Amino acid sequence: MGDFLAQYGFLIVTMVQAGLLGLSLYFPLQAGQLSLASPGFYAVGGYVAAILLTNPAFAGLRESLGGALFPLTWLAAALICGLLGLVVGIPALRLRGIYLALATIAFVEILRVVSLNLEITGGAIGIFGIPQAFGFQDRWQYIWLFGPLLILTLLFARQLERSRVGRAFRAIREDELAADAMGVPPTRYKVLAFVIGAVLAGIVGAMSAPFLNTWNAKQGTFDASIAILAFVLIGGSRNIWGPVVGGALLTAVPEVLRFLADWRLVINGLVLVVASLYLPQGIVGALQGVRRPPPPRRPPSVPVVVEAPGGGS
Amino acid sequence: MKRLALTLTLGLLAAAQAQKVATPVPIGIAVAQTSNTALLGQEQVIGARFAEKFLNARGGINGTPIRLVFQDAAGDENSAINAFQNLITKENVVGIVGPTLSQQAFAADPIAERAKVPVLGPSNTAKGIPQIGEFVARVSAPVAVVAPNAIRQALRLDPKIKKVAVLYAQNDAFSTSETGTFQETAKAQGLNVATVQKFQTTDTDFTTQVTAVLNAGVDLVIVSGLAADGGNLVKQLRQLGYKGLIIGGNGLNTSNIFSVCQRYCDGIIIAQAYSPAQPSAANQVFVKEYRAQYKKDPPQFAAQAYAGVQVMVEALRALDRKKKLAQWDLGELRTALNKQILAGRYNTPLGELRFDKDGEIIQKDFYVAQIKMKDARTGSFVFLK
Repeated sequence: MGDFLAQYGFLIVTMVQAGLLGLSLYFPLQAGQLSLASPGFYAVGGYVAAILLTNPAFAGLRESLGGALFPLTWLAAALICGLLGLVVGIPALRLRGIYLALATIAFVEILRVVSLNLEITGGAIGIFGIPQAFGFQDRWQYIWLFGPLLILTLLFARQLERSRVGRAFRAIREDELAADAMGVPPTRYKVLAFVIGAVLAGIVGAMSAPFLNTWNAKQGTFDASIAILAFVLIGGSRNIWGPVVGGALLTAVPEVLRFLADWRLVINGLVLVVASLYLPQGIVGALQGVRRPPPPRRPPSVPVVVEAPGGGS
Repeated sequence: MKRLALTLTLGLLAAAQAQKVATPVPIGIAVAQTSNTALLGQEQVIGARFAEKFLNARGGINGTPIRLVFQDAAGDENSAINAFQNLITKENVVGIVGPTLSQQAFAADPIAERAKVPVLGPSNTAKGIPQIGEFVARVSAPVAVVAPNAIRQALRLDPKIKKVAVLYAQNDAFSTSETGTFQETAKAQGLNVATVQKFQTTDTDFTTQVTAVLNAGVDLVIVSGLAADGGNLVKQLRQLGYKGLIIGGNGLNTSNIFSVCQRYCDGIIIAQAYSPAQPSAANQVFVKEYRAQYKKDPPQFAAQAYAGVQVMVEALRALDRKKKLAQWDLGELRTALNKQILAGRYNTPLGELRFDKDGEIIQKDFYVAQIKMKDARTGSFVFLK
């Protein structure tokens, strides 16, 4: 058990972390918004934590707070990412579909270039020598941070789906115009979904900076956006378990197949292709299809009898 | 929860302590075998494989052979950490040579530090690497030591140089730290840095930067970038009429650049931490065997990976003389190996080298080479005296 944790602990925690990042993209998707901004907020959250934990300017704060600094970094990351999400979300969410996706990719790129140019983010080398959360020695111990966050997020997501807000999200996803006509203000709910995703990604980033020991501009890139989108699409975008399963699976496959050397990336590619060809609803969607009877169809519409002019039948 | 964690940790410690050293003795190699970093990593794999074949043929560790365990560290932090975890807990290696990039070292080396496993960085040139911990050392001289040689050599070739243009790839960790060294050295040599231009490793059009350089009327251009972008930049500089000397950084230090800037590569000056011309016996045997197999001179990255393995093996030999390796506990051996690595002197293909107390390399010889193109495709690095 000890050996297993020492060897696969990092991977297990990375799987949970990937699931959380998938969920951060799932929230806007719930309101029908294809946003790829998660890696941007993830990067910002990580930088907030890394700066608070290493920058000489905060040395006094670190000394006086001790271990309580770690929850503070999560809080700071959540606040900053929430605000940033609001500022970016309001104008960006006027766009739809692929245009929104492009705008959010641009946002991620801007953040990356900014972090390469700022002194406080350490330029291209980034920030290193980040102290370990609560003195953790082994990577698997980070499950005590990411695990509860995942459980909380899933509970939150479940409650959200059942709530009035969740129904509004779904209404917007299915038909924004119809929802608007029914008195659901789309902009407000879209921004809310976007901000929830941003806050989650920010907290994950803040937890990840000590977990990875170092933080640099490579953490939030276009590639990461696509990877996280793949988590959601492969896992399934219509169910809270989809992003979690997809993230865990796509993170694990290349690592578990390490013994195959170069072939492991081929297998990873195959998984992506096969899943997207044969499981359009994602893995979780496909499993649900097996377990449950198909959803009830719309009742056959009442035949409309058109009276031909001039009568007759 | 806490008790569970404690039990697990204790179990782990007990397991680690009961462990004996395996034969053949496993040494971990965690370099980039995939991703875009693999261009460098592949040369390191070749260098390490050479060392394994070579040192085993010469008796290994006083008769006990070594076995290299390769784990792909790819080009990102997660893969490097996973590779290190695998080597430490599953493969029970005595030490690790890797990872390829400095950024990865900042992520993965603390893992080895906490597990008390010695690490030798084969190509980590950024500032702060040996300071990660007492188990971390490197056989790659930092940019701050290597890069200034190129400027000194350029001044020897053309003592009239006064004005300099500095260009660097802003999104590359190595290039940004290298350009800092270049700029400081230029100023220290009394040169006037007329313009500093940035580009991205993904750029293909450098008109803006080239125009700025030409307008500044400089006699020397210093480029820190990677092979593709750096090569294109040099090509466009020459095409638009720049005639002066050009210094390239370590990112351009590969023959892959020839196909990018072709004829225009001619004359680029690059400082080296390694030269196939290094006269030591250790290097001449290495070069001879390498040429026999690959029909070309060994590159710097292969030589450094080779030196990493060699240092580990020589330190292990010294320990084995005191007490047979098979009798050591793995944990104790790792700690002793780390001390021995830092204490020894080694005659490697890089020349004579040893380490300071932090684990920073102290290397005697550095070189400067100039690219000479035969035609549009083939060229070579000619070492300058």
